Amino acid sequence: MSAKNYEVAVIGGGIVGCSVAFYLAESGLDVILIEKNDIASGTSSRCDGNVSIVDKDPGFDSHMSWVSQELIEDLSKRLDRPFEYRKSGSILVCDNDDEMQAAVDWVKTQNEAGLKFNVLDRNDIKSESPFFADDIPGGLECETDSLINPYMFCYALVDKAESEYGLQVKTRAEVTNITKEGREFKIQTTNEDVRAQKIVNAAGVWAPFIGKMLDVDIPITPRKGHILVGSRQQPVMMRNVMEFGYLMNKFGRERIADKRTTEHGVALVLEPTESQNFLLGSSRQFVGYDPTIDIRVVETMARRALRFFPKMNDFKIIRAYTGFRPFTEDHLPIISEVKEVPGFYIAAGHEGDGISLATGTAKLMEEIINEKTETIIPKEPLSFDRFKKSEVYA
Amino acid sequence: MKDTIICRCEEITLGDLEEIAKKHNSSAREIKLLSRAGMGFCGGRTCRPAIDKILTNITKENPSDALPLKVAPPVRPISLTDLGGFGKDDE
Repeated sequence: MSAKNYEVAVIGGGIVGCSVAFYLAESGLDVILIEKNDIASGTSSRCDGNVSIVDKDPGFDSHMSWVSQELIEDLSKRLDRPFEYRKSGSILVCDNDDEMQAAVDWVKTQNEAGLKFNVLDRNDIKSESPFFADDIPGGLECETDSLINPYMFCYALVDKAESEYGLQVKTRAEVTNITKEGREFKIQTTNEDVRAQKIVNAAGVWAPFIGKMLDVDIPITPRKGHILVGSRQQPVMMRNVMEFGYLMNKFGRERIADKRTTEHGVALVLEPTESQNFLLGSSRQFVGYDPTIDIRVVETMARRALRFFPKMNDFKIIRAYTGFRPFTEDHLPIISEVKEVPGFYIAAGHEGDGISLATGTAKLMEEIINEKTETIIPKEPLSFDRFKKSEVYA
Repeated sequence: MKDTIICRCEEITLGDLEEIAKKHNSSAREIKLLSRAGMGFCGGRTCRPAIDKILTNITKENPSDALPLKVAPPVRPISLTDLGGFGKDDE
């Protein structure tokens, strides 16, 4: 039996795969989205919903976030299903005077790049939330940051692309093998085989397993994170807050913190959700693919939250979950063709920025596949080749 | 029947679940996530069996397949202070 031949098969139904499938289908291509479980059942439902620039390195990283924010705003008007889009800006709070000085510099750099950042003083922080500690020296805000519900966003993309652009979606179809026959790929799955001329590997933290099927070594490592869900009790605050130390953790820079906080890679993130609950993060650990909730890490996170929100001591935590960020060595995703295997593309490796960067990623991938000469962001910093180059010098 | 409350915490009725299922032709997991049934304060401890049964009936899925109504810590709501483990050894 010969399976239907698609122009593009996107593997992975998380926020990156759904976004890529959306823009490719919209551009007129015949696209199928293949997902091993259900839509948004991996990292994209075990994360928070920040579409943020506030935590991005000034330069290419923050520019890519800004482009992605514009695309999400556009989609908030075009998609039929709502996805809890809230453009309220976000803030960073500092733990000590050293961080405060770094924050002032951070704002200056981001302003020079044309981004809307402002320094916040002690009083500004107090007016953000009555629960903040009195000794927080200040922080900063990014005006353009927004929040979405990632799984609602995935559903909204898939729904629109299916009903209007002819996207086919195959869930509960785990890819078990891929072979190249001439110019087309035969993708074997646990739910029928698929044939396609091109493949986009958007499997996030599982992208290396897909790569291996075509002898492509993809340097993505799972970086585990925990999230706690706090119950609605009194309104905590209106917008997302992270501590400045989050940046230090993310980029592996030196930070003043106790041993356990450092060991578990813990930094405060608090996201008010549409349901009035709040999410508390975060931890960062390289412990393979073990999803077990580590109570010691959870304790460290609760402690860290109380450092910034001591007046939330009696707030109830109702749930905890873990997810895996697809980490790359240089903290940038891979959005690229694979020269060794013509027709095979990668859109993965966003670490904790998948929600923020999914739309920019997807638009760029659509432009690469449609061989457009001008792209929405430069593609060189995201090329798969960059890892090979670093090996030469290693 | 339609007005029967299934999830007390999030105030979700049987009718709400059926309507979402019909509107989006959803998987069991999607119905749960869209309705928030079982995602409230009790974490499904009160309503899980009822929600499992209803979603299985609607979608014909095997409940063990995909329902994220799994049991995970904390087993019941706990205050941030208690969770913070103050007073415990730091090592």
